[in-house]
Amino acid sequence: MASRLPKRTPTVVIGVLGTTLDVGKGPHRWERWRPTVSLCQHEDFVVDRLELLHDANATALAETIVEDIASVSPETSVVRHVIELADPWDFEEVYGVLHEFAAKYPFDTDREDYLIHITTGTHVVQICNFLLTEARYFPARLIQTSPPKRSSSSPGSYSIIDLDLSKYDRLASRFEREHVDAIASLKSGIETRNAAFNRLIEQIEHVAVRTRDPLLITGPTGAGKSKLAGRIYELRKHRRLVDGPLVEVNCATLRGDGAMSTLFGHKKGAFTGATSDRPGLLRSANGGLLFLDEIGELGLDEQAMLLRAVEEGRFLPLGADTEVQSKFQLIAGTNRDLAAQVQRGAFREDLFARINLWTFKLPGLRDRLEDIEPNIEHELERFARERGQLIRFSKEARAQFLRFATGSDATWTGNFRDLGAALTRMATLAPGGRISEDVVSDEMKRLAESWRGVVRTDDTELEAVLGAERLAGVDLFDQVQLACVIKICRESRSMSDAGRKLFAASRARRSSTNDSDRIRKYLAKFDLTWEGIQ
Amino acid sequence: MISLDGAMGEGGGQVLRTALSLSMCTGQPLRIQNIRANRPKPGLLRQHLTAVNAACAVCAGSATGAELGSHELTFLPDAIRAGDYDFAIGSAGSTTLVLQTILPALMTASGPSSVVLSGGTHNTHAPSVHFLQHAFLPLIERMGPTIRLDLERHGFYPAGGGQIHVHIEPTEQLKPTELLLPSPITGRRAIASVAGLSGSIAKRELAIVADHLGWEPDCLHIEQLADEVGPGNILSIEIQREDVTEVFTGFGERGVSAERVASNTVRDVQRYLGSNVPVWHYLADQLMLPLALAGGGAFRTGPLSKHAQTNVHVLEAFLGSCIQAAEIDGASVEIRAQPRR
Repeated sequence: MASRLPKRTPTVVIGVLGTTLDVGKGPHRWERWRPTVSLCQHEDFVVDRLELLHDANATALAETIVEDIASVSPETSVVRHVIELADPWDFEEVYGVLHEFAAKYPFDTDREDYLIHITTGTHVVQICNFLLTEARYFPARLIQTSPPKRSSSSPGSYSIIDLDLSKYDRLASRFEREHVDAIASLKSGIETRNAAFNRLIEQIEHVAVRTRDPLLITGPTGAGKSKLAGRIYELRKHRRLVDGPLVEVNCATLRGDGAMSTLFGHKKGAFTGATSDRPGLLRSANGGLLFLDEIGELGLDEQAMLLRAVEEGRFLPLGADTEVQSKFQLIAGTNRDLAAQVQRGAFREDLFARINLWTFKLPGLRDRLEDIEPNIEHELERFARERGQLIRFSKEARAQFLRFATGSDATWTGNFRDLGAALTRMATLAPGGRISEDVVSDEMKRLAESWRGVVRTDDTELEAVLGAERLAGVDLFDQVQLACVIKICRESRSMSDAGRKLFAASRARRSSTNDSDRIRKYLAKFDLTWEGIQ
Repeated sequence: MISLDGAMGEGGGQVLRTALSLSMCTGQPLRIQNIRANRPKPGLLRQHLTAVNAACAVCAGSATGAELGSHELTFLPDAIRAGDYDFAIGSAGSTTLVLQTILPALMTASGPSSVVLSGGTHNTHAPSVHFLQHAFLPLIERMGPTIRLDLERHGFYPAGGGQIHVHIEPTEQLKPTELLLPSPITGRRAIASVAGLSGSIAKRELAIVADHLGWEPDCLHIEQLADEVGPGNILSIEIQREDVTEVFTGFGERGVSAERVASNTVRDVQRYLGSNVPVWHYLADQLMLPLALAGGGAFRTGPLSKHAQTNVHVLEAFLGSCIQAAEIDGASVEIRAQPRR
């Protein structure tokens, strides 16, 4: 007989037979509250299919339950699954068995609605069911059944628990607050106005609280990479996602033999001067976060060791026979184009692939002009906090500085580091805590002076090689030449190969020359070596 | 389209069932809003859905909003189709309430029907099979149709699993019938049934019946049912008259003593015996709809319950002013069905 009722999504409950609670023989079993049967007795809830898991020993009980459910709930079909559970109190075994069931079960969440019954089974079974549901191995909600309050034959009550916490209004607003706080914290409390930057920070927040994978922060010097890494650490620590320390190192400061030892540690006597054991920075970062700034400066050997440490959580200290363990989250910073370095063979492709999973490009200050003003406020507040002195701009001085700061003459090559330094200087020099137009004028000259010495090209490579400070001491005249020499050197297989290109004209005129030596001596003027610039 | 407020009167499932019956019999589409409003679990429950489902099947109807927890239902009936039906009711829900929903349609259909219903057969808040067999159906048969109800297996709450089989030979037009004054009593019977419980429960119940009503042992019967259908306990007390049998039912419940079950039931019997009417409350509720469909006939009963008043409202929504209730004295009311316009 055709009945034309609308089809609804069938409800499928997956549960373990309760070898204590579901037990009952003879007519009096109906006077007991049996959770698995009670599931199917509710007036306002229909189970279309029950997947009943039980041990082979409990087959007779399972059959009784199947019959009883057929009696109270003709709508329900029951599918029995015999599972092997030698010890239902053994966490590893129970988790393994249930995990396997979940992996093999043909979930079809578009067509069926799944509920995991967590009232039956040992506490270990309940915990495993919860964990598997939370981890979405069971794409389901939980259902908990409870006995009637008074002793009666009624089925008691049930409640459905969705572990997707965003479904709960009150919790959702709590999370929203947490989310807003986290973003504010990542921005150091600065009310930034640049839309692209704000979007970037939201993405970083989203990722930072969810992953232990490496993060890569790129962007020009002074864009705030190091500060952001510190903020990410604070956020993760606040959420109790890390319990170890934040260890920070600029790879540009690690040169030669010392680099290996600084990062990975050494055993006493590993080399001349290794007079005692040294744990190394990676081991110090155990359980915490390791920020490797200027990761493009790291030597190839160190890169290989770092890759192993990131992937396996293990590495070999210098002179040690056995590997040591350290689990840390890696945040890498760079102002170089790592992909180009990979092309040149100066950066390991496999390490790049490993750290290039979550890449965030911090924009420079010129791309965030609207954020200059809130950053000025932030710097003044910081100054007040650190020096205990409240500093204000005069109205005219503020307007003057802002005009300059957002104008095309302000190159801000050092980005927010320059801005912070400028504010610190002005605040320090401010007569009576008030930054006057004179103070601003002097500072504008000072900034313009410092930027004049720096080529504002896209060539941040030079800065990476020399460091901002040394670069500032090199004439623009020399910078242009040096940049070109380094570029050719990097494109060449060997020093003599580079020499053939760089001195091609003079080679044609002269019979013989030591081109390699000329290059070595030229680089040495800047304290650079062939190996160092590769 | 007949629109009803599901919260009217007692606002329970009765409005829904009566309305479905009438929609099927009159062919008028139905919309109910606020279904079971103000109840702890508002909206449609499983047993109501089974009734809607059964109604759809019997008259090739369609329904929207027929979902668990739904507050609004639209039902579009088509022609009533006699035939063989099989309905299974979950959560030990009442088979007799579903039967009550579809019976008016099937007893005026164009051919005989055979309906198997499984679920609960003796539920509180529902007419018991014994009541239908001995009180209600004999009166219906007097109005034309021939109906045989076989109880094939008892089904008690919460185990359910009961089954009834109903054969219906319909009539083209229901004939009016009258029950105005109580005719002489021809027989008395009390049956205490137990399943999966101690027989002493039945004995204790019958002891109360014998004591309070002064009945002889040959009126008292113990029915020991198979353990498998238990646990369950029913006390049915019959007052047989020349033209009507009234049945009073007590349901054994966990935590309620056998004595209390029996004395509550006996109190109802005593009220009936002390009145001057042939039809008591439950039978009155059941009779109004067939009489209204017959367009005539009358009976006298006690003061109308809220339940009965709600029934009258639903009947009038479909059939116009079809029922006249006239107070005879403080203790009795005459219900008279009007010819349908």
